[in-house]
Amino acid sequence: MNKILLIIQREYLTRVRKKTFIIGTVLFPLLYLGLIFGTGYIAEKNQPDLHIGLIDYSGLFTQQRINKVNLGDSLNKINLISTDIEQFKLHYAENGFNGYLEIPATIDWKGKLDSFNMNSNKTYGIGAKVPIENKLNRIWTDIKNDSLGIDDAKKEILSSQINLKILNVNNQSANAGIATVIGYVCGFLMYFILLLYGSQVMMGVTEEKTSRIAEVVVSSVKPFQLMLGKIIGIAMVALTQFMLWIAFIFIVYNVGKNTGHAGGNMTAMVGQIQSVFTSVNVPLVLGTFIFYLLGGFFFYSSLYAAIGSAINEDMREAQSLSFPITMLVIFSIALMTPAISNPGSPLAVWASIIPFSSPIVMMARIPFGVPTTVPWWQLGLSMALLIAGFICTTWFAAKIYKTGILMYGKKPSWKEMIKWAFRK
Amino acid sequence: MNILELQNLKKYFATQKAVDDISLQIPKGSIFGLLGPNGAGKTTLIRMITGIFYPDAGQILLNGKKFDPENDVRNIGYMPEERGLYKKMKIGEQALYLAQLKGLSRAEAMKKIQDWFVRFDMQSWWNKKVEDLSKGMGQKLQFVITVLHEPELIILDEPFSGLDPVNANLIKDEIYRLAQNGTTIIFSTHRMEQVEEICNQIVLVNKGKKILDGTVESVKQDFKENLFSIQLEEIPTTIANPFFELVGTHKNELIVKINQGHKANDVISHFINQGSSIISFKEILPSLNDIFIKLVEGTPSARQFQKVED
Repeated sequence: MNKILLIIQREYLTRVRKKTFIIGTVLFPLLYLGLIFGTGYIAEKNQPDLHIGLIDYSGLFTQQRINKVNLGDSLNKINLISTDIEQFKLHYAENGFNGYLEIPATIDWKGKLDSFNMNSNKTYGIGAKVPIENKLNRIWTDIKNDSLGIDDAKKEILSSQINLKILNVNNQSANAGIATVIGYVCGFLMYFILLLYGSQVMMGVTEEKTSRIAEVVVSSVKPFQLMLGKIIGIAMVALTQFMLWIAFIFIVYNVGKNTGHAGGNMTAMVGQIQSVFTSVNVPLVLGTFIFYLLGGFFFYSSLYAAIGSAINEDMREAQSLSFPITMLVIFSIALMTPAISNPGSPLAVWASIIPFSSPIVMMARIPFGVPTTVPWWQLGLSMALLIAGFICTTWFAAKIYKTGILMYGKKPSWKEMIKWAFRK
Repeated sequence: MNILELQNLKKYFATQKAVDDISLQIPKGSIFGLLGPNGAGKTTLIRMITGIFYPDAGQILLNGKKFDPENDVRNIGYMPEERGLYKKMKIGEQALYLAQLKGLSRAEAMKKIQDWFVRFDMQSWWNKKVEDLSKGMGQKLQFVITVLHEPELIILDEPFSGLDPVNANLIKDEIYRLAQNGTTIIFSTHRMEQVEEICNQIVLVNKGKKILDGTVESVKQDFKENLFSIQLEEIPTTIANPFFELVGTHKNELIVKINQGHKANDVISHFINQGSSIISFKEILPSLNDIFIKLVEGTPSARQFQKVED
């Protein structure tokens, strides 16, 4: 037992003291935020912006109506073309237009409409036509309103809508929006940690094997102790990193609260964190997150350790052998999306109980509320099965590891590895 | 008293009878040579002695008691042929870690490491990493790590490969010193001149079986071919005689093989009677290298895969 502690200590300290750990701990949240805001920014930058010429034979699409919609949205400008129509049709592209469309004189504001053709010299994506379509429809609505004699006051009356908000009577403070966000954050964080630290276990084992230290060490300790020590040591590193992030959030929260007047951004962030605290059971989410982080990590990393023990110097072998394991993690993240949009569905329930997907899917469901969305029996069953699951994978992996760590030469196939596992 | 006794040890792999019924005894304080061609089963045998593998059948007795890997690793030091250390770890910390894994307390380990580092002139290495060391330096470090916890039984697999003569001598002297203090050393190699120089007892394994066992002297005696070397002042013109046959001449030295039923004295008196003056006369014993080649010859240079039944 004492020897496992020594191994854990070494694995932990050598990793935590590395510069890459410190940099990773600081950079990951920044990259994570960067990813979210960056993609948002790029999406905004890449909004479709088409400049369209409108040739109107009906006289309904007046300059005044077009100006009104152009004023509301400067992108996707529509210009009314009334002179030199034939010239325009030939040279629209040189004049900075992406295309043009013609409104026939026969158009009837009361009747049904066929679709119009927008003439262009390029092929655009489906998304590109939507803003133009919306603008044209706003003009069309104006035309119909005016023809029916509906004034602004009546328009106001017509525009009122029913908004539905789902209120959980068992949990008045539940907020589906925030729960969804927290669910996504938890699920993705779990996914990153499982993959990142799982591959660290795999590479660590391979390193020990290829540098031949394994043989020296297993002449002092049992292979199982070495494997377990490594897994626990790296799990502690992952946990440390997670705790540092949580601490970071609390510091931001407290600093922000105390200097509340400081600035808009800070107060907004504090306000968001505050609303998270009131609508989500934070201690429960944190506690279960740590449980699933460790459980999921032991489940997957022991498999990664088995693969690490089977491969030799060649990292491509690692990729092909670890592919099935990585697929399981990716499959779990694929199950997470439907589980978040309907956290009570049978798919979500079973995916959060079966051990391989439960760490990610259950963490996506828990923010919706325990025991309202996730009954206690589901949580308990899921946890028990995860513990049973990782005991099984660790046992299985240990058998492969024991043989693999001292086996050099040809890369074994999965079939051979399974044979190792079931040998006495 | 035997420190180690192997009784009918067997270890079969899917395609190989790696160790096939080997028994041997190793007396305490001896330097024991474990010889054999590549793939003979030496490494598998060693891995069973170090507790890495469990034997399929047979028994290992350490100090007369059944070998218990869990507790007995403290008494064994093993330096594998393929050296292995953590490349990125500082040398001092690494030695400390591996010594503690063997069961030494931190303070104890620290003291011993310092002693050894002084003895091998390695004090300045403490904060360096293994990747900064040359191959020979790494070898020295590996040796220190192997013997650090003062095991009763040290197993060295090709300990001199990659060492220059100065460092090889340094380690050789340490081996003698350790043996004198009662440590038993198993020395696995296929470098016969080293075995001849260092070991008092040898075992030769081939294809998983023991084919030779004894002291270096007795083995040589067993394989001698009654060859003698005689140096004469002048080589006589006719040598024909009933006592021996001439095998070869080299300048004024004759190599002769004494015929059955005759003795060395017959040869000497023959030359005395002839009136030749003898400068030297000595028996030629086969080198271990010759014996090794003779015994292993004929078996394919690479071990073939075989079907394992039962």
